[in-house]
Amino acid sequence: MSVEHPGLFWFTATLAAYVVSRIVHHYTKSFLTSPLLLTCVLCLALTVGLHASYREYMRGGQWLLLLLGPATVAFALPIYEHRALLRRYWPTLVLGVGFGCALAFGGTWLLSGLLDLPRDVRLSVLPRSFTTPFAMAFAKDVGGAPDLAAVCVIATGILGASLGGMLLKVLPLRCALARGAMLGMGAHGAGVARAREIGDEEGAVAGLVMILAGVTCALLGPAVALFES
Amino acid sequence: MDTKNNGNIRHVTGIAAYGAQLAGLVGLWWLCQLCVRALDLPVPAGVIGMLALVVLLASGALPSRFVRRGAGSLLDHLLLFFVPACMTLLDHKELLSVTGLKLLAVIVVGILTVMAGTALIVELHFRGRTRHVR
Repeated sequence: MSVEHPGLFWFTATLAAYVVSRIVHHYTKSFLTSPLLLTCVLCLALTVGLHASYREYMRGGQWLLLLLGPATVAFALPIYEHRALLRRYWPTLVLGVGFGCALAFGGTWLLSGLLDLPRDVRLSVLPRSFTTPFAMAFAKDVGGAPDLAAVCVIATGILGASLGGMLLKVLPLRCALARGAMLGMGAHGAGVARAREIGDEEGAVAGLVMILAGVTCALLGPAVALFES
Repeated sequence: MDTKNNGNIRHVTGIAAYGAQLAGLVGLWWLCQLCVRALDLPVPAGVIGMLALVVLLASGALPSRFVRRGAGSLLDHLLLFFVPACMTLLDHKELLSVTGLKLLAVIVVGILTVMAGTALIVELHFRGRTRHVR
């Protein structure tokens, strides 16, 4: 079955699924109903139910994906508002981002090698800790598949935002800096959204860490490609 | 009656201001997109736009109240913009297999390593620095 105006239909359907998910999450507060996960599941169920293809969905979905750019620009506001905190603790943050990136690349490469995944899959999963635009650019640079990279990035975001909530209960973290850095480094966009639920400071730190990590990833991509060739 | 009217006017100007702020952010991003394309930069337009906006705000050229509502709402609904990327699963049915499970294992273990490592090093460095200050 095909829909009459696929663009408008899928755009509205995604918005409706999102609103429903927010309401459900508001009442249940469980990580299983995290808005991103629930919206994705609802939209996937609907596309499968209507036998729609990814291309058909994207006629409406592209408008939402496009807003990711302006949303990145919007991070200037929390960064500006928490500039005192960031100015004071930038060495700590740089250390966290450097260590986090090393763990992200090293850990993913070792683990995927250990599990004997094919080389193109390994290269695509490598940038999974970085926000979508950077990760896709990286995968393209090093010879992986950008769309597979996007899937890994999203999986990292959804799982990371939930796992992060659990880790927060286990780890003895006293400062907002560590909580924010953890979520921004480990689960990029979804982690930042989670961090914003915890607190303003956490949200600003997570946003900055996500961007710093992304820029590091963008700079490393061409370097790795050069090394490989 | 009068106060109700005033409220309505405030409501309308509020929505207009909000729309203008959103349009401004989209416009800034679009300008950066043009620059990135023209100069073939390796950094996404969103990041350049963010740096530009931080500079504008920090220099005082643009008071933060002119972007607060627009930027705030984009950030509040950040998750919504990730949904389309998630739909790429439709084109990757091969992930519903052993490879997919392995990939999931890599991702879960990877997340825990990165998160625990980053959080602990930041916490330790932070505690070390605050002890020195005292």
